[in-house]
Amino acid sequence: MPRHWHQWALVIAAFAAVTLMLVLPLVLIFAQAFSQGATMVLRNLTSADMISAIKLTLLVALITVPVNLVFGVLLAWCVTRYEFRGRKLLITLIDIPFAMSPVVAGLCYLVVYGTQGVVGQWLDGLGVQLMFALPGIVMVTVFVTCPYVARVLIPLMESQGQDEEEAAVLLGASGWQTFWYVTLPKIRWALLYGVVLTNARAVGEFGAVSVVSGLIRGDTLTLPLLVQMLNEDYNTVGAFTAAGLLAAMALLTLLLKTVLEWRQRGKLNVAQGETA
Amino acid sequence: MSIRVDDIRKTFGAFTALDDISLNVPHGELVGLLGPSGSGKTTLLRIIAGLEKPDHGQVFFQDRDVTTLDVRRRKVGFVFQQYALFRHLTVADNVAFGLRMLPRGERPGRDRIRARVRELLELVQMDTMAGRYPAQLSGGQKQRVALARALALEPEVLLLDEPFGALDAKVRKELRRWLRHLHEQISVTSIFVTHDQEEAMEVSDQVVVMSQGHIEQIGTPLQVYEQPASRFVFDFLGHINALEGHYDGQTWRAGEAFLRLDTEGACPDGALTLYLRPHEAALSKSPSEVARLPVTLAGRSVFGGTVTVELEPAEWGEGMLEVELDRDSWRQLDAQRDDTLYILPRLLQTVTCDGELGPRVRPA
Repeated sequence: MPRHWHQWALVIAAFAAVTLMLVLPLVLIFAQAFSQGATMVLRNLTSADMISAIKLTLLVALITVPVNLVFGVLLAWCVTRYEFRGRKLLITLIDIPFAMSPVVAGLCYLVVYGTQGVVGQWLDGLGVQLMFALPGIVMVTVFVTCPYVARVLIPLMESQGQDEEEAAVLLGASGWQTFWYVTLPKIRWALLYGVVLTNARAVGEFGAVSVVSGLIRGDTLTLPLLVQMLNEDYNTVGAFTAAGLLAAMALLTLLLKTVLEWRQRGKLNVAQGETA
Repeated sequence: MSIRVDDIRKTFGAFTALDDISLNVPHGELVGLLGPSGSGKTTLLRIIAGLEKPDHGQVFFQDRDVTTLDVRRRKVGFVFQQYALFRHLTVADNVAFGLRMLPRGERPGRDRIRARVRELLELVQMDTMAGRYPAQLSGGQKQRVALARALALEPEVLLLDEPFGALDAKVRKELRRWLRHLHEQISVTSIFVTHDQEEAMEVSDQVVVMSQGHIEQIGTPLQVYEQPASRFVFDFLGHINALEGHYDGQTWRAGEAFLRLDTEGACPDGALTLYLRPHEAALSKSPSEVARLPVTLAGRSVFGGTVTVELEPAEWGEGMLEVELDRDSWRQLDAQRDDTLYILPRLLQTVTCDGELGPRVRPA
């Protein structure tokens, strides 16, 4: 507990800052959305564009998350279980999506897979269109979110070592049994945490998606893109309703993340408490 | 099941961990691989288990070549230094793991598994802890669970990698007695790795002394102690005092100190190093006719029935010397700090100029 007046002052200042910078804008999103009554919100929510954007956003997340879940686990397994040339380089390469601006990532995909691009031209000849369509949106979202699961797992798996896996194999477990019964239980909370982060980013991604989406209403607009579109159309209630949806998803994510962390810590405390 | 290792080589980059090793372990024996860290003993154990692949050479179980056989099909019991228990499973589930991983056709029923787990936990005296998680156990308890888990599939080969290395001295002693006892109960060929001389001597039927990827000597604990095959073995098995001086065919001298020795012509004239084990000498307040090794009493420590006396050579040789006496002899000696005493060696090991072991000699 703070004891002196200047300690109290600091605490109050921190709360004030958080309220002004974080809580107030968040509250205002919902206030703006409901500024003309719940019926307007409902009408906006049921508009064709909104429903299409919600569906698209969820579909993108639904594809992206499993892809990166598998990719992240395989990558973490690979760099923590094997020694090979270029291992360090691979670990560095995973971070490229973190380091690179999403807009640049979107442009890179456009250059390669757009109809003017090397691969894009060839695919166009075969009648396959990637850019300005769902595949392109999924591709850049996968790119932008690919480090999350791997980044959470690598330090954990490195610190856990592989004694338990060796013990399992010595007891006759197959590779799949070892993963399912030994490795997965050891990393499950971290894995869920990685999935939550991946999902949050996949739902909220704007920069990379805006480059490759083509902004076709009712077709290639995700929720974050729709927010901007509606805002430019001076449809304040619509824009803030979409924004409110995104904010609600973010809050849900935060709640999940907190529960996961709390759960992990709780388990640890139980184990230690009973030893003592 | 006997274990035979033939001409095994293993390198990690430029480092040679095992340099053409051959070893034979008869059925039902308990063999200790003893050596300092980096001697290759753990690598050899992991190759026998199938966790590492040798660069060349073969491993046989009985007459069957298992060199290329997959780890999971070798069916060896393995115990890790850090236990490697499955942290998310209870003690009972840890022990049952191997049975549950069996293919459907071979897997015993639920009741059979439960009965087998109970039987194993009783064997390692952990039956009251079946529901606990590894994090709730002490080190010694964890290692007993790990042993029960390794025995669940009734392996004919049991491999233990520094099984007591992470435990404190008292628990370690208790557990190794218990392991010796257990080994007599169940007929399994066992190899365990250790860097602790005392542990190897107490537990093993045979000791394999290793250094730098080579086997220095194989023998019973008594053999390797009393007839060490090399200077390394002599050095490694317990503390020794090295006395450096010159020998003229009758007398060994170093400054003021001398010893009359008959080496029966085995040691040529010239530089001669003598190894003296701390318990193979007495202390006296006066020199004898055949031995004059003056030292100053620098300190002593009492542990059990033995008094270890720390001695500083008086103007000959360098470093501290150590002599072990029983309590009665120490009391009779009645010496104080800084007193001058004389070491009377009973048995000495000669080291020839090429660094190998010469004959063992008595002052005469």
